[in-house]
Amino acid sequence: MIKHHPHAELLQAHALGELPLSMSIAVAAHCALCQECQTQIAKLTEQAAKLVFVSSGDDEVQHNASNEIDVVDNAPWQQMLSNIMALPESTMSEPYIESSVTVSHRNTRYQIPRVFRQHIAQPWQQIGKVSRMRFDMDEKNTRASLLHIEALGEIPQHTHKGFELTLLLSGEFSDSTGHYVAGDFIILDGNTQHSPITQTGCLCYTVLDAPLYFTKGISKLLNPIGELIY
Amino acid sequence: MENFQSHLAQNRYDRQLSPPIEMAMENDNHNLSADKHITDIDPLVSAIIKVANQRDKAAFGYLFSHFMPKIRAFGLQRLNQQGLAMDLVQETMTTVWTKSHLYNADKGSVATWVFTIMRNQCFDMLRRVQHNREDAFGDDIWPLYDVAVSQDNNQDHKLTAKLLVHLDALPLAQRQVVQGIYMQELTQQELADALKVPIGTIKSRLRLGLEKLKSFLETQHD
Repeated sequence: MIKHHPHAELLQAHALGELPLSMSIAVAAHCALCQECQTQIAKLTEQAAKLVFVSSGDDEVQHNASNEIDVVDNAPWQQMLSNIMALPESTMSEPYIESSVTVSHRNTRYQIPRVFRQHIAQPWQQIGKVSRMRFDMDEKNTRASLLHIEALGEIPQHTHKGFELTLLLSGEFSDSTGHYVAGDFIILDGNTQHSPITQTGCLCYTVLDAPLYFTKGISKLLNPIGELIY
Repeated sequence: MENFQSHLAQNRYDRQLSPPIEMAMENDNHNLSADKHITDIDPLVSAIIKVANQRDKAAFGYLFSHFMPKIRAFGLQRLNQQGLAMDLVQETMTTVWTKSHLYNADKGSVATWVFTIMRNQCFDMLRRVQHNREDAFGDDIWPLYDVAVSQDNNQDHKLTAKLLVHLDALPLAQRQVVQGIYMQELTQQELADALKVPIGTIKSRLRLGLEKLKSFLETQHD
């Protein structure tokens, strides 16, 4: 059972599309594994849509009518409108999408959330029982990767300057603070030391921080997380 | 008029609820409840249904007028440039026009659907501006439609689902043709007309696309 979820404000920022790619993928992948957070995101998205699209208080009908006149009188908008309507309907029919994609490593195939679809073509790099597939996100100091640890593998004790996010995708691991299962979303701040060990092997998505994001307002979201989770 | 509209909405309902294969069985089963549902339908929903079913330009004009100023304001706030805000309106409303058939009233309001399209588009545009990257990840992060999990063990169905996963990997031109022929059941001539290319081009794209799909499946079954 998943015990560790993204912080409420992180979910909110995700619904608004305010997180960088690496973190958006993490939250989306967690939601693909966690019904509870998925429901929460749906609610937050609906609220965000209301906030953006539903005008507060004033008469909707009148509001629309005046906008309509705007469009009619405004040549560039008229032009855009007719350009759009000149396009044919998309040939895409009712989409039938699988919820997961497969990533293979060392003869094992893992089904992971579909959000990783466009990122898993990178090569694995292996040192002992630990392998890493670094994603190409182009986010300055942020490094996002898949991390694979074979059975009985261990990551040496480490700390980070910023934060470290681990989303467990498959298998299990433990560290001094607890035991984790697939779907657990764990954020550690720079002060926490840990050395995860896995009995049966595991596959994780990890994001190592960019100090840059801390200076840009997301710090507010990430700073309290360490305390909240542990 | 009222009846006509209800009828269209009803068709659309079926289309959303059931995969094409099962559609025939589903017909006429829930007329009563659907009609009841339609009577208090929101004008945005009825507009999008008209766009989806009849390519109704007046209905689209209404949606455009409704959403355009708000999308523009959102774009200005996020992207900080008039031109980019215009682009956001254009891209978002283009998706509404071309993919209106993917809107599913059971899954949420029109506003939520349009918001999803806009946010995803804005996410990709922002990466384009900030990182100079031409990638499109928004729709993978927040899917525009349900990510379906196969509910039966029908082998055909599974194979179709597997193929569809690989469809994304085909170049656009081949994908359009494979989808048109096998999923929308268009003739090669209809596709050629729709895409404004000679029929020979359709034939060769189809051949290339199928060969590629075949190779994907073969490597997967190894």
